[in-house]
Amino acid sequence: MALTSEKSGKKRTVAGEDELFKNSGVAGKWLGEIEQRLGDTNPLIKHIQNNAAKEFARTGLPGRRDEDYKYTNIRQYLQEDFVARNGQENISVELIKPLLLNNSVNLVFINDKYVPGLSVTENLPEGIAAGDFYFNKDRVHDKAAQHFNKAAGESKNPMALLNTALAGNGFYIFVPKNFILDVPVHIIHIITGEVKSLYNPRNLVYLEENSQLTLIESYHTVGDCKQVFTNSLTELFVEDNAVLENYILQDEGAGSYHSDSRFLSIGRGGKSNCVTVSLNGIILRNDSNVLIHGEHAEAHLNGLFLLKGNDHTDNHTLVEHLAPNCSSKELYKGIIGDSATGVFNGKIYVHPEAQKTDAYQSNKNVLTGDKATIDTKPQLEIYADDVRCSHGTSTGKLNEEALFYLQSRGLNKQLAKKVLLQAFAKEVSNTIKNEAFRTFIEKKIQEKLI
Amino acid sequence: MLEIKDLKASVDGKQILKGVNLTVNKGEVHAIMGPNGSGKSTFASVIAGREDYSVDGGSLTFNGKDMLELSADERAKEGLFLAFQYPVEIPGVSTINFLKTAIAEIRQYRGFPPLEAKDFLKMMKEKQKLVEIEANLTGRAVNEGFSGGEKKRNEIFQMAMLEPSLAILDETDSGLDIDALRIVAGGVNKLRSGENAFILITHYQRLLEYITPDFVHVLYNGRIVKSGTRELALELERKGYDWIKEEFSEMPV
Ligand SMILES: Nc1ncnc2c1ncn2[C@@H]1O[C@H](COP(=O)(O)OP(=O)(O)OP(=O)(O)O)[C@@H](O)[C@H]1O
Ligand SMILES: [Mg+2]
Repeated sequence: MALTSEKSGKKRTVAGEDELFKNSGVAGKWLGEIEQRLGDTNPLIKHIQNNAAKEFARTGLPGRRDEDYKYTNIRQYLQEDFVARNGQENISVELIKPLLLNNSVNLVFINDKYVPGLSVTENLPEGIAAGDFYFNKDRVHDKAAQHFNKAAGESKNPMALLNTALAGNGFYIFVPKNFILDVPVHIIHIITGEVKSLYNPRNLVYLEENSQLTLIESYHTVGDCKQVFTNSLTELFVEDNAVLENYILQDEGAGSYHSDSRFLSIGRGGKSNCVTVSLNGIILRNDSNVLIHGEHAEAHLNGLFLLKGNDHTDNHTLVEHLAPNCSSKELYKGIIGDSATGVFNGKIYVHPEAQKTDAYQSNKNVLTGDKATIDTKPQLEIYADDVRCSHGTSTGKLNEEALFYLQSRGLNKQLAKKVLLQAFAKEVSNTIKNEAFRTFIEKKIQEKLI
Repeated sequence: MLEIKDLKASVDGKQILKGVNLTVNKGEVHAIMGPNGSGKSTFASVIAGREDYSVDGGSLTFNGKDMLELSADERAKEGLFLAFQYPVEIPGVSTINFLKTAIAEIRQYRGFPPLEAKDFLKMMKEKQKLVEIEANLTGRAVNEGFSGGEKKRNEIFQMAMLEPSLAILDETDSGLDIDALRIVAGGVNKLRSGENAFILITHYQRLLEYITPDFVHVLYNGRIVKSGTRELALELERKGYDWIKEEFSEMPV
């Protein structure tokens, strides 16, 4: 059912290195289905993509037997008869409008394809590259090619490998040295999805020394998106003394599956604050990997997930301290209703050279449904002796005393619950520094809590 | 206004209120005293509508309405208020914000339009002054990190804001320093009118020096075993509870 390639009339010819894996199971099949790969115009990228494909052919899709996917059996959701797609755009402007953020650069991607016509870029200052990987229609941006897979390359995670192998396009942002970009860049990622589609958006963000960026990513589906799998991967480079604010909203419709891998690399004195808010979707899996490799750097990783029905959200985080005198703080909070399931697996890894590391991790959950569950697993691996590392986790129901207190002042039970849950969520949404987006998110959260 | 007859209540299968009778009329102040564990807070919670206490018998009417049919929030909307013995800390919810919501809900229940923002602000300033509570306390998350005395003062502030017709103050005087006690009592006295009533649960005669009660009751072992005027409080202060315990410990259940 490789409709895409036939429709566009340029059936993919698989040759050369591709030959090696075209028959190696599902990787080869999917490779044959996509319209264009990043490596099609850049031999360096092509080499990386082919290697990843070979590697993926060995690992295959992760399933229950893989320790890291114990609770999220990807094989159950992403099957071999899914068709790898990219490139089609078919959506009306009207659908985009409510998603645009004011006073921001808005870049719209539909089914992995950058749509300049729907994007709002007039307030983008000169000197900043913000768009997709393609510098012009035919060629990948040189700087993008240079950094491609430099942060994710060490990973043996099958979903990351799959993305690298198949990636066709995604957003690319480059902020040059000393440039403080004061308008946020908002990526609107929309899947319109035919049933049983697989998308592999690939993104790259590069902040040169002393630069600053606020990057907002929102993921949506429109229409009746059933059994659509988005396997996104974002590499973020924060060079010395650069500052990155990165907010991710996952607001996809029921019926969609999303695996999001994030590789953040932070240099000396760099700062990053990453906040992921997951509101919807049957199956969500987030892998956030932070590598701190320069001294005096600071990383914040926060997440909020609101689950209902049979939703499932699995947050895996890995914070690696490679350099001394750095700090990392992590706060993940879940509100889990009905018979939804949540997972938090947070690992802090402190290398021997990372003395004076200050790392903290916290996971707090409220179960509002009788059948709701959370599996939470903090992991500290510390190989330096002079560090401060700790974690805390708590899971419970809403505090009955507090509920009664609010009720005794005239709030009905439902409203009292909502007030308490909103307050619980606020601890995470408060870490969104951009006021417009914070307000937007808090409204969304409020709607979801009704 | 409040009519309680033979009220029996239990928690986790343990009977705590064993038949309480009490009538409170408009304009009255009642004090309830009694040894620790005798059921005073339970009584207050049952009146306020706490769900984990089950009412096993008797009646509770307020302005002629059967309160046992109403949920805690509906009772508040009818004009009941409970100042907690142990006010709860609620992180992330500011006193001001939730009071705004509470007042809006109560007004809606009574068929009034919502308060204008400026009227709310004005009222808040007034009441803050009345109970001499600092604005920064009411702007903070409810009771979070408050000292014992600050929590009690915050209860009185909320009472002042909600203007209940019947307020039950459960040991609001405990943990207050002398100045705070005077301020809280002064607040109650200023709010006192011919139209409302108070039930003060206390261990100390001292509070009653500031707020003169019309009646004093002794709750012991789940029953009101003695009622009198403020003389009774003085007597208890002098003699302690042993004589009460002796006299009533043999009472059949
Ligand atoms: N959830 C519960 N389970 C079992 N027993 C309870 C529960 N709640 C209260 N009690 C018991 O009920 C009795 C009355 O408690 P209550 O708090 O009403 O006393 P009190 O008169 O307010 O005491 P104090 O003067 O110390 O505040 C006590 O013996 C207490 O241990
Ligand atoms: Mg008590």
